[in-house]
Amino acid sequence: MTSILKYGTIDDKILEELRAIVGDENVFTEPHHRAIRASVPAPFPLHKWSEHTPDVVVLPGSTQEVSEVLKISNKYKIPVVPRGGATGLADGAMPLRKGIILDIKRMCEILEIDEVDRTVTVQPGINMQELNRVLEKLGLWFPDDPASYPVAVVGGRVGTGGWSLVGAFGGHVPDLVLSMEVVLPTGDIIRVGNGGGRKIRKSSVGYRLKDLFIGHQGTLGVVTEITLDVFPRPEVEFPAFFGYNSFEHAYENAFKMTTSGLRTLGAVVIFDEEKVEYLRRDDEAYIPQPKSIKSIIATVMYGTEAEVEGAKKRLFEIAEKDGAIYLGEELSEGDWASRHDRYALPLHGRRRSDWQVVPMTWHCEDAAINHSQLPYVRKRWHEIASRYIEQYDGVFDDWGMFMYSNPPFRPWGDYLTEIDIGINELALDEETWEAWVNMKREIAEVVIEVEGSISACHGGTREGDVEVCVRQELKDGQFELMKKIKKMLDPNNIMNPGKYMLDEAYQEG
Amino acid sequence: MVELLSYKKFYDEPLKKDEPVSEEITKDCYTVFACRHKFCREVCPVYQELRNESYTSYGFHAALLSVSRGIESLGNMKETITYCLECGACELRCPNTLFGGDFYKRRTTTVDLVRKIRRDLIAENEKPNNWGEVEKKIDQYKKYYNSSPEEIRQWAKDLEIPTTGDTILFVDYFTAFQETVTVRTAAQILMKAGVKFGVIERPGLTLGELYETNFDEWLAHAKETIEALKSAGAKTVIVVNPHEYVYLTREYPKYMGSLPFNVIFITEYVAKLIENKKIKLTTEVDIKATYHDPCALNKFSGIWESPRKIIESIPGLEYTDEDPVSQWYNCCGNGIASFKELHPELSYRIGTSRLRKAADLGVQYLLLGCPHCKDQLSEVQTKSKINVEPIHLLEIVAKAMGLEV
Ligand SMILES: Cc1cc2nc3c(=O)[nH]c(=O)nc-3n(C[C@H](O)[C@H](O)[C@H](O)COP(=O)(O)OP(=O)(O)OC[C@H]3O[C@@H](n4cnc5c(N)ncnc54)[C@H](O)[C@@H]3O)c2cc1C
Repeated sequence: MTSILKYGTIDDKILEELRAIVGDENVFTEPHHRAIRASVPAPFPLHKWSEHTPDVVVLPGSTQEVSEVLKISNKYKIPVVPRGGATGLADGAMPLRKGIILDIKRMCEILEIDEVDRTVTVQPGINMQELNRVLEKLGLWFPDDPASYPVAVVGGRVGTGGWSLVGAFGGHVPDLVLSMEVVLPTGDIIRVGNGGGRKIRKSSVGYRLKDLFIGHQGTLGVVTEITLDVFPRPEVEFPAFFGYNSFEHAYENAFKMTTSGLRTLGAVVIFDEEKVEYLRRDDEAYIPQPKSIKSIIATVMYGTEAEVEGAKKRLFEIAEKDGAIYLGEELSEGDWASRHDRYALPLHGRRRSDWQVVPMTWHCEDAAINHSQLPYVRKRWHEIASRYIEQYDGVFDDWGMFMYSNPPFRPWGDYLTEIDIGINELALDEETWEAWVNMKREIAEVVIEVEGSISACHGGTREGDVEVCVRQELKDGQFELMKKIKKMLDPNNIMNPGKYMLDEAYQEG
Repeated sequence: MVELLSYKKFYDEPLKKDEPVSEEITKDCYTVFACRHKFCREVCPVYQELRNESYTSYGFHAALLSVSRGIESLGNMKETITYCLECGACELRCPNTLFGGDFYKRRTTTVDLVRKIRRDLIAENEKPNNWGEVEKKIDQYKKYYNSSPEEIRQWAKDLEIPTTGDTILFVDYFTAFQETVTVRTAAQILMKAGVKFGVIERPGLTLGELYETNFDEWLAHAKETIEALKSAGAKTVIVVNPHEYVYLTREYPKYMGSLPFNVIFITEYVAKLIENKKIKLTTEVDIKATYHDPCALNKFSGIWESPRKIIESIPGLEYTDEDPVSQWYNCCGNGIASFKELHPELSYRIGTSRLRKAADLGVQYLLLGCPHCKDQLSEVQTKSKINVEPIHLLEIVAKAMGLEV
C-alpha cells in the first residue's frame, strides 16, 4: 500500500504566516522548545527522539487563531498535533509525522459559570485544580478527578475521553461534557452537544456527534471551548482503606462492596500484592504494617452527612464480615489526599539482581476488564512482565497492579485494570525498545482474550497497543467506519496523522 | 528548620558549548524527564503567566537532556534559561524531592541547575537580551562595596551600633543602601528588646547576580564575609534578608563547610523575644492583613511558622491566612537573582497577580517578610494601583511596640 498523500515542508513563508496569526512570541523553532514537546509520560524511545520532534511549536490564544492555523495547515498539508497538559499515557500528543505542535495551554480562561443551570464553560487549557479552586468558592464541584488532576487540562481530558477516580459517583469525562466548540481540520468552527442544546443533558435530536469528538486523540479537530456539568460540592468526602491477607481475599470482598447498592460509593480500588510490595520500597508511602497485610482496598464515599453516615456502617459491615482490617483514619485520609501526587517515582526503579536503584519512567496499563476475569488477567500480566524482566533486568521492572471500579455512576461489573511497568529509557536501543513493544502487545492480547477493552482512559494509540486495537478489538467494522469518518472530516490527514493507523484511510492498492 | 541542603558537586564542572554533557548531568536530567508528570509546571509562577512549558523545571531538564543527545546545542538555551525566578517551587513539588528526597538522599535541584547553566553560558560569552542591566547592577553593588564605612552605615545613623559582638545583625548592601527601612526597623526592635548586637563594618558582596555569573568572585566575597563575621566575634548571626539567609545556611556551607556561628532569621528571633516577653506588643494595630511567604524563606528554608506566630500576636490585627503550601505557587516577581533585570514586564505581571490574590481576600495590607518583596511589590502597587498595601511585618511589630521608626 502506498500513501496518496504528501506533506508539505514548513518553510520561512509558512512560519511568517503562523507568526502573523499568533504573534512572534508564540512561535518557537529552536530545537529544545520542540524536543521537550516530543514526548508525553508514556515510555518514550529516547534513542529515536528526533523522529518525534515536531518542526515548530505554536501557542494559540483563541478559537480564531486555532482556526487560522488549521486553515494554513490544511492548505499546505502540514501535520498538526494538539498538545494539552501532555500527561496522556497513550502517546496521543506525541508527533508521528512531525509538523506543528499546537500547544493549547495558553487558552485557559473560565468563560462562564452558570449557577442556575449548573454548568461551567471553559477554554481547553485549564486544569481541574485551577477550575475547582474557582468553583469551590461558589459551592460547586467539577467531579473529574484523574490522578493527573493538577496537570492534565480539560482539552486533553476530552481528547482522551478520560476516566475519573471517583467516576462511580460523579461520572467520567464523556458523561460530564454537555457541549463543545470544535475547530475541524479544515478550519471550520462547529458546535456539538446533546442535540443543539448548549447546557442540555439529554436529547434525542440528531446523531450523537458530541461523542465523536470525545476520545479521538486530536485526530478529528481541536476542541476550543467546553461546557461542563457541575455538581454541588458534597457535604462529606469519606475515604476508607482496608487490609487483606491476599489478593484473592480483597477480590472477593470488592465484589460485595461494588454490588452492595450503596449510592455514595465513589470508588473501589484493589491494590494487588505486587503493588503493596512496590509501595513499601520507600518509607514515606502510607503503607500499613504489619507485613501480613498483602493487599488493600481503597474506597471513598461522597454525599450528605446523613447519607454517608448510614452507608459507612454498611460498608464496614461488609468489610469486617470478610475479615478485612480497617486501616484507620490517618492512613485512609493521608493516602487518599496524596492520590494525585505520588503516582510513580523514577527512583523506585530497581535492578532485580542486586536491588540497585535505576531511575525509570512509568508505563501505566489501563484496560477495562470484567470482574470475573481479574484473577486470570493478573496472573497472565505478571507472568509476561517477569519473562521480560528476567531477560532485561535493569531495563524493565514490575510495579504491581491497581484495579479501579470503572463504570460511571455505579461501581460494579468492570474495572480499570492497571499494571505499572518501570522502564529505564536511558538504556533503550532498537532491541530493548522492540522488547518493550512486544511486552505491550502481549499484555494487550490478554485483554482481547477476555473480551475486555484495551484502554479505559488513555486511548489505544500506543505502539504495541495500536495494532491489537485496530486489527482485533475494532475488527468487526468499527475501524473501517473510523477510516471513512476520518477521511471525510480531514481530507488531507493533517490532524495528528499516524494515530490509530488512520493513515490507511488515505492509502491505495 | 528543614534540612534542604543537596549539593551536587558535579554541577561545579562547567558545561561547554561544544563538548559532551557528562554522564552525571545526563542522569540528573533524566531523573526529572523520567517523571514527566509536570507538577513542577503548574506551581511555577512564570508558567502561570506565560503557560509555556519550555520555562519550567521539566522544560529545563528535558532541554539539557536534548543537548546531551545532540539534538540541541547549549548556546540556544541562553534566553530560555533566563525564564526562571529561582523561587524553588518546582523543586519542592517534584515527586523526586517530595516523596523520594529524604529516602534516597537526592532531590531535584532546578535552581542550582539554572544558575549553573546561566553561569556556564556567560563564561562562553553567550549573553541573553538585557544582560547589560545585570552588569549595571553588579557594578552598582561594587560601588556600594567600595563606599566609605560611614556611607555603608548610613542606614543606622544615630543608632550607635558597635562593630563587634557575640550577636551580629547581618546587613547586606541591598538593605544598607536601598530598602533601608527594614533593617533600621529590625535594629530598633532589637534594641528596645534589650538585645546587645553589633553590625560588621564591611561585608563582602552577597549578590545573586554575581553568584550566577562569576562564581570565583562571589566565593571570594563570601569568604570575606565569613572572615569579617568571625573576627567581629559573632556567635550568633541574625539575618534580615531571606536571600542572604539562604546563602549563609545553604550555599556557603556547600563550599566552606559548616560556619563557625549560628545563623538565625529575624522572624525566628523576634518570635522568641515575643514568647519570652522581651518584646511587649501593647499598641493595637487595627488593620486587615494577609501574609506573603517569601520564596527564600518558605520554599528554601522551611520558615513559615514564625512570621505567622508574630502576626497572630499583634493586638487588633485581623489576619487572613493563605497556607504556606498553597503559597508555593506565589512569588512577588522579583526572583532570587537577575530575573527582574532581564524580564521587567514579566516581573511586573507576576507581581500584579500576587497583589490581586491578596486583594481578593478583602484585606488592606499584604505583610511581607523580605525586603526584596517589599521593594518589588511597592513598585507594583504604585504602578498598578491595586488596592492592597505591601508592608514589612517588622514595621507592624514596631508599631505594636509603640516604636517610632
Ligand atoms: C500521574 C498521572 C496520572 C494519570 N491518571 C489518570 C487518570 O486517573 N485518569 C485518566 O483518564 N487519565 C490519567 N492519566 C492520563 C492523562 O492524564 C489523561 O489521559 C489526560 O486526559 C490527558 O490530558 P492532557 O491534557 O495531558 O492531554 P495530552 O496528553 O496533551 O493530550 C491527550 C490527547 O488529546 C489530544 N488533545 C489535547 N488537547 C486537545 C484539544 N484541545 N482538542 C483536541 N484534542 C486534544 C492530544 O492530541 C492527545 O491525543 C494520568 C497521567 C499521569 C501522568
